[in-house]
Amino acid sequence: MRLVAIRRIGTTQASGIGYDRPLFAYFLNAPSLIAIFLLAGYPILYSAWISLHKYNLKRPKIFDFVGLGNYAYLLESPEFWSSLWITVQFTVLVVTVVIVLGVCVALLLHRPFRGRAILRTLILLPWAIPPVVNGLMWQWIYDSKIGALNGLLVSLGVISEYRGWLSDPTSALLALAFADVWNVLPLAVILLLAALQKIPEELYEAARVDGAGAFQTFWFVTFPWLAQTLLVVLILQTLSAIRAFDVIYVLTAGGPGTATTTLVWKTYLTTFENLDFGLGNAYAYAVSLITFGFALVYFRVLYRRGDFET
Amino acid sequence: MNTSLSRDGIGAAVADGRHARRMILPMLGGVIVAIYILAPFCWLLLTSFMHEQDALSVPPQWIPKNPTISNYMTFFDPAGTRAIVGSRAAEQTLPGMVNSLIAATGTAVLNLLLGTLAGYSLARFRFRGRGSLLGLYLGSRMLPGIALIVPLYLTIKNFGLLDHLSALIVTYVSFTLPFTIWLLKNYFQTIPRSLEEAAYMDGCSWLQMMWRVLLPAAFPGLIAAGMFAFMTAWNDYLFAVILTSTTAAKTLPVVVAGFATDVTTERTLMATSGVLAIIPPLVLAFLFQRLIVQGLTSGAVKD
Repeated sequence: MRLVAIRRIGTTQASGIGYDRPLFAYFLNAPSLIAIFLLAGYPILYSAWISLHKYNLKRPKIFDFVGLGNYAYLLESPEFWSSLWITVQFTVLVVTVVIVLGVCVALLLHRPFRGRAILRTLILLPWAIPPVVNGLMWQWIYDSKIGALNGLLVSLGVISEYRGWLSDPTSALLALAFADVWNVLPLAVILLLAALQKIPEELYEAARVDGAGAFQTFWFVTFPWLAQTLLVVLILQTLSAIRAFDVIYVLTAGGPGTATTTLVWKTYLTTFENLDFGLGNAYAYAVSLITFGFALVYFRVLYRRGDFET
Repeated sequence: MNTSLSRDGIGAAVADGRHARRMILPMLGGVIVAIYILAPFCWLLLTSFMHEQDALSVPPQWIPKNPTISNYMTFFDPAGTRAIVGSRAAEQTLPGMVNSLIAATGTAVLNLLLGTLAGYSLARFRFRGRGSLLGLYLGSRMLPGIALIVPLYLTIKNFGLLDHLSALIVTYVSFTLPFTIWLLKNYFQTIPRSLEEAAYMDGCSWLQMMWRVLLPAAFPGLIAAGMFAFMTAWNDYLFAVILTSTTAAKTLPVVVAGFATDVTTERTLMATSGVLAIIPPLVLAFLFQRLIVQGLTSGAVKD
């Protein structure tokens, strides 16, 4: 690997073009580094600093250093553990459904049938819908008095009377997850479809000659080729589910009670409703640590597979 | 399957039956997926063409009995006769759309500019710290927005840039840039170096080479990266609602959410504002569908 690199630099220098120009490379990266540091690096450090203080905007003069006090409070508060548990439920639900549905739809769109081209364009539709609009749309669908879901289920005879889908704790979480799945499914399908298209056709012919059934073909031919993209989709969807905010804001606002109060929603409430910036930042940092944990595992696995650096 | 060997009537019939069955199942699946995708959206779209009392009817009217475009007209004439209910949000919709377009386009353009420079250097140059730089870019992408919003709010407040589109654009750029850099780096790596070298031979400077040779060759990657940046900025609600407060910088999702939390607003008007918020990204997504998938295939999905 290194030998190849050295030889490459050698030849390019011989032809008068230098790819070994570190100063120029740093110069090209400078604007991006400044932008990212100013608006991501600096805030995250600032956020850590605030989380070590007692700081409530209702009493803006008080900014007392309390060390890890906010975190200790967090670990002892049942609200933290309840919102963590709800985050886990929501994330597992969304990610599982997106992966299963995503694979099914991608496999379907990979097979030739009449109308496939139209469906491949159509599948992008939910992707183009802002989460706020998505939340609004599902709010009316789930509406307890005039909602389409109630109307549909009653006219089909599945339920006998209208129900408040968003006022029951269990169905609210399910309804929220279903609405989010609809919004994020296209990205998973596009990525998986792109991966499916790279599988050589000969492998399927070989499987057919060997008399493999549909399930065997999927398990021994398709799945190994799909594994890496599945991992990418898994991680992207996990992170986006943990971060979900807009759809909760519009659809359930964390309710009924605290049935859909995830960690991110709890962070928002603590910070912008209670104006408790110290504790709010401790919550924010807890969310960051969890996503960072996932990111580390993600890089580890990709790195071991040799997909990280190319 | 030896159907080609047994050319008698029964064999052919069996083969035809098999073929038909093989086609019917995917088509059935296709219809189900199409309904799943279209039904919720159609409900929104149809509501935007209904009169308010029709939208509130029980059981729901699936097809508007008296379709109207008056909801759409309200947005272009907010001071008109229907403006009594929900007029504030209706007035803000068009300015919100303009703000959203400026913010999203600005984000996409700045992303491509900065992302091209960084992406090119990572794709072509070997230098100390290249690996850690890549890790840094990707790592910053993992931060959830909610963790950045408080310090960002305080910082932008200190600069006196609250309720300014520029603050919003810079925020979105820092948020979307890591992915742009990653995508463009991967795309640039698929372009042969010989193209560049030929340009240098012809006496091009670095800038001329980039502009005339490399960037045109990287068109699908640029479109995909630009689209992702545009969509992220267009869809964002969290940063926009915290960092803006008036029509000077309020973006469309903030206006639409304002509708949602205002109980006096007409449902049909809300639906219409929702449809309006979808149109620009939808047009772009359908227009660039092939290029997006092409750009993604070499960027996010590896061989």
